Amino acid sequence: MTSGVRGAGVLLLVLIGLFALGVFGPDLDFPSFYLVLLGTVFFWIAQTSSWNLLSGYAGYFSFGQAAYVGVGAYCTAVLTGRHGVGFFWTVPLAAVLCGLLALGIGAVAFRLGSLRGEIFALLTLAVPFILSAFARINGDIDGGQGTIVPPPEAPADLDFQQFQYLLALIVAALAVGVSYLVQHSRAGSALTAIHDDEDVAEVLGVPTFRYKILAIVAGGMLGGIAGSVYALQIGFVTVESVFGLTIPLFVIVMAVLGGRSHWLGPVLGAVLIVVLQDRLSSYGLESWNAIFLGAILAILVAAAPAGLYARLKARPWAALIAFVVVCGALAIVNLWGEELDWILAGMLAAAAAAIILGTRRTSAPPQPADEPAAPSRSTVEPEPDDDLPPVGDVVVEVRNVAKHFGGVHALEDVSLDIRAGELIGLIGPNGSGKTTLVNLLSGTFRPTHGEIRVGGKDITRLAPHQIAHVGVARTYQIPKPFASMTVRDNVATAIMFGREPMSLRAARPLAEEHLATVSLDHLADAYPASLNLHQRQLLETARAIASGPSVLLLDEALAGLNPAELDNAVQVVRRIHRSGITIVIVEHLLRVLNQVCTRIVVLDRGAKLADGEPRTVMSDPAVVRAYLGRQAHV
Amino acid sequence: MRRRTLTALAAAVGMTVAVGGCNRGGDSASGNDGGPPIVVGSTLSLTGAFAATGEIHKIAGEEYLDRLNAAGGLLGRKVEWKVLDDQSDQAKVAQLYERLITQDKVDLLIGPYATPNILSAMAVAQRHGYVLPQHTAVLAPQLTYECQFPAWSIGPTPNEFIPDQLFDALDSLPTPPKKIAVVTSQSGSAAFVTDGFGDDKKGVLTIAEDRGLDVVVNVHYPPTTTDWAPIATQVRDADPDLIISNGLGVDAVNLVQAMKQLNYTPKKMFALFPAPGPLLALGAPADGILSVSMFEPNKPTLDKLGSKATEITTAFTKRAEAAKLPYTTFETQAAASWNAWDILAAGVTESGGTDQRDMCDSLHEKGADTTFSGHLKFDPKDNNFWPTTQTLKQIQDGEWVTVWPEDKAAAPLR
Amino acid sequence: MNVVQATLSGALIGGLYALMAIGLSVTWGVLRVINLAHFGLILIGAYLTFQLATSWGIDPLLTLVITMPAMFVAGAVLQWIFDRLALTEFNSLLVSFGLLIITIQVTSNVWSADFQRMDAEVNPYATESVSIGRLVFPVTTLLAFVLAGLVVLGAHLVLRRTFAGRALRAIAQDRAVAGAFGVDHRRLSLLLGGAVGATAALAGAVFSLSNALTPDTAYEWFGIVFAVVILGGIGEVVGTFAAGVLVGVLSGVVSVVWSPATAPFVLFSAIILALLLRPRGLFAMGAVR
Repeated sequence: MTSGVRGAGVLLLVLIGLFALGVFGPDLDFPSFYLVLLGTVFFWIAQTSSWNLLSGYAGYFSFGQAAYVGVGAYCTAVLTGRHGVGFFWTVPLAAVLCGLLALGIGAVAFRLGSLRGEIFALLTLAVPFILSAFARINGDIDGGQGTIVPPPEAPADLDFQQFQYLLALIVAALAVGVSYLVQHSRAGSALTAIHDDEDVAEVLGVPTFRYKILAIVAGGMLGGIAGSVYALQIGFVTVESVFGLTIPLFVIVMAVLGGRSHWLGPVLGAVLIVVLQDRLSSYGLESWNAIFLGAILAILVAAAPAGLYARLKARPWAALIAFVVVCGALAIVNLWGEELDWILAGMLAAAAAAIILGTRRTSAPPQPADEPAAPSRSTVEPEPDDDLPPVGDVVVEVRNVAKHFGGVHALEDVSLDIRAGELIGLIGPNGSGKTTLVNLLSGTFRPTHGEIRVGGKDITRLAPHQIAHVGVARTYQIPKPFASMTVRDNVATAIMFGREPMSLRAARPLAEEHLATVSLDHLADAYPASLNLHQRQLLETARAIASGPSVLLLDEALAGLNPAELDNAVQVVRRIHRSGITIVIVEHLLRVLNQVCTRIVVLDRGAKLADGEPRTVMSDPAVVRAYLGRQAHV
Repeated sequence: MRRRTLTALAAAVGMTVAVGGCNRGGDSASGNDGGPPIVVGSTLSLTGAFAATGEIHKIAGEEYLDRLNAAGGLLGRKVEWKVLDDQSDQAKVAQLYERLITQDKVDLLIGPYATPNILSAMAVAQRHGYVLPQHTAVLAPQLTYECQFPAWSIGPTPNEFIPDQLFDALDSLPTPPKKIAVVTSQSGSAAFVTDGFGDDKKGVLTIAEDRGLDVVVNVHYPPTTTDWAPIATQVRDADPDLIISNGLGVDAVNLVQAMKQLNYTPKKMFALFPAPGPLLALGAPADGILSVSMFEPNKPTLDKLGSKATEITTAFTKRAEAAKLPYTTFETQAAASWNAWDILAAGVTESGGTDQRDMCDSLHEKGADTTFSGHLKFDPKDNNFWPTTQTLKQIQDGEWVTVWPEDKAAAPLR
Repeated sequence: MNVVQATLSGALIGGLYALMAIGLSVTWGVLRVINLAHFGLILIGAYLTFQLATSWGIDPLLTLVITMPAMFVAGAVLQWIFDRLALTEFNSLLVSFGLLIITIQVTSNVWSADFQRMDAEVNPYATESVSIGRLVFPVTTLLAFVLAGLVVLGAHLVLRRTFAGRALRAIAQDRAVAGAFGVDHRRLSLLLGGAVGATAALAGAVFSLSNALTPDTAYEWFGIVFAVVILGGIGEVVGTFAAGVLVGVLSGVVSVVWSPATAPFVLFSAIILALLLRPRGLFAMGAVR
């Protein structure tokens, strides 16, 4: 908690300092050109930070930033230039228009689940082309001729450079502020979860649509406001200058270079690239500028694929020392260049130091922890078998459910009642529809026919995150942890978006309790990449129970384990069952099922074949035939 | 961990401010007395969308300064030119001009290339009160800064002048056109000539109507057009007497090519602001095309202007060849550049110094003498757009030749 | 009549669009690399054709004998760089963007930024056409269409019928597993990169037959090429061809029936619609992915 507040404090100080610079700078002989340069930096910070909300945090890369810049700039240009509306009225209007545009794009694109990744990127690429054609066609807007933006009256005794600087600063501060707040709020965790695995997040209870819309609208509005101020900067707005591809491409360059998962990343990227371009253009080597820029860009992205911020964060002192040494040495020697050159050299040196030293330290790949198969609670005696929770009322009703995938009938007319407190084993040969049934119960798919009720509530038409809130949780055959979060945060996310919304800070201690249940508490600070398969499965399970479900669906949670790990896993399942959660476990290992299950349901080719006591079902000849006819696990 | 990063960042920002603030004052004063060189600052589009023509202005400027310095410079001082690449990016234009003025503290300014960039530069010049001679922006109504001086003028209302001049010229032919096709690019100057600007709706379309001409095709296309067949098809089917291609760059070339591919030869064609070289490279199909011009290095024209003009055009061609430019003729664009420098030089010599206010006033009072356009008079009422000396040029035997008005023509209109 | 000719001309120029787009689409689909430097390769191919034809006075199409192998090597080297760096998809976009910037600048340094266009003596194709009745087939775009068709047909056959082709499709779906089956993805990706480079040389040569070149031209291709890639489906060979034709026809017809100004508006709106209805591409047949 304290580091977040301290971070905000430093940010605030920096902003106040920059603000004071703008107001008092000229009196202190601060060169006004730096105000102009900083103004450009602020424009790009605003654009990259607003882009980063959706594209960086949530991973939905957008190529359409030009749409917001263009709409914002044209809003201001046309209203002030052709209709004499006061500049300050056009800014909120630009924000509203861009917000609506973003809302439209999001509402359309996010509704269709198949629009992920590159398809979404291409969709956003088309939007600026449409808008620019629209502007050209419409004589009232532009007709292709461009619009002059009359500069507004600068307040008090500020000259125009100061006025522009302060405007740009305010917009950038707004964008960075929003970026910071989002990152440190539940929205930030939600967006990170969406980035790592959207389907899993949805199933855990994160209302993914809502957060994506929030991100895209916020990003759009901020981009529009920045576009409004940009119109002032360039003084003459044409279609090519605001709807072109340069801005979106460079926004992506800066944000990715800086680091997309932290609010500081886009800031770093913007500062570096703007200063670099300014310096390159001042050397007068026109035939080399672009070559240097392209080379530096390619090298930096290749060397620091996750962005510079991550590298700098890993080696802050090395970077700072490199910066101070190089910049200071150049300043003292004073044989070459001016201050900006030294600062740029210092920045590049810092980046290089962080990258080079960083690679050496992290060169040893994270080893899957060689944990002893017995967990920290290995001294616990095996719990007695007959200490089972009583079986209660029906908690899940599956009625005549069918699921067709085109011509494939994965499930056909399956009906099932699951009672509270049961531990049901769901078995069947491959392709019998077990995972499909789990997918239907958790809401990943909707049934083609039939209905499903949980706790009396019809969930057939609910979104997965709503089903999670009704009390159904699941794990995946291949564990899907959130790769960019620690083990603890993985579980905390489930709690945050569970039935009782709470903040990350409040969720973390509760997460540790759930980790203790699965005996993973000693790995709470590790990242999923360093866990072995068994530990990942345990994490998966802990995450599933953290949302406080009444029904837990375990999809082949015991696959690929050695005997010792298997025993451990079974203990965990028992522990969870005893805590009052109804469990449906999809499995192949019959001896395990015999040990723990209160009931076995057998599926074969999409239909329910048998349903009852383990011993009865196992000796049912139809079941034996179904198994031995295809495969036999003993 | 995070705290350290933020502290580091804050320290860096703090250092920037400290270093920036402390180390001021190292610049040398650009004194107005005797010795130190006069520095002229500007940007040019040397890369990016406008680079094709930007290079021409760079070469023209370098040639001008060599000759100027060889003749003793201005007020006895050498003249240097600090030109930066604005990458055809308006935002960079504004930023770079601010740097030139406030950081590099240049003595004088001259404009960049292409109307949007010129307008952005004009805003900066206006803020700081600098005189800005500019090469090629002809949209008079938009250039409202009183100390902006155009080097190329089509008068205060190009949207009227150009169609009038064209139709007058064609009326002098035995069979003047009756049916016309108007094909317009949706970009700045081109759309302006066709449709007018703002409340002023006069342009090719209205003037054609006034003169009783029949506009059989009226098409607007985006500058990003890659497929010219649809437009060419429409024109072919309408079979007009005159095609007016109000476009820029290689639009006219593409249109002619597309029409030839349809086996259609236009009877007469006019292109507004084409890149001169590519049209010539098209060969026979481009013969007879008309366009606007300020200057063509035709022998009769050069003879009238004197030997200096011939020297300049020859020297320019040599430089352009050394720079590997494909089209090395010194024509309208280069002449516009030359005029801009002449105006700047006139401002300095007439006002006796580099004080911007004095220069602006003296240019308004006394005008400027230019090698290729004679004496220019600047009236603020017309946004300084001097009475135009625009001519029409035509491709004859693979060369651009001035053909109208008759007193300036190097050869008769065909 | 206008509409028919516009449709025809649009279909033919669609061949050029497809020729440009196919390389980008295939490397994206199979190798998961969004290679913006592909535009740089097309640009250099175009300039090389211009230069060789002008300096040696040979037929522009003959220059392909030199440019195609040269671009093959360039494409393979480019792919080798990407393989060594093992970048994510979007990072490859940024790295290739850096390379594109460099390429454009080098082009400008060598050939100047001014318009370069082959003279009529060097390039007789620019204004020629083949007529059938009132219908006209401009030679340059006809050539583009035929070449695109051949390339697509060839690529389709290779992908379907040869081992290399099947191996490529396997790599596209799961590189690690394909490797376990003995598919050497490194050699194959180099071959693919080279082949893509060769198509860039083809596209560049055809482009230079009917257009003036400036270094900045590379950026002008982005919109159309991405439109074709989207509609055709990433990695879909035949789909790209069909999409190119569709884009050309749609733009042409809208230009004639409505106005050229409306064409981009309609085209990109259609693309959004297509993405919503068939996100994998209008013509996606699951060929490569």
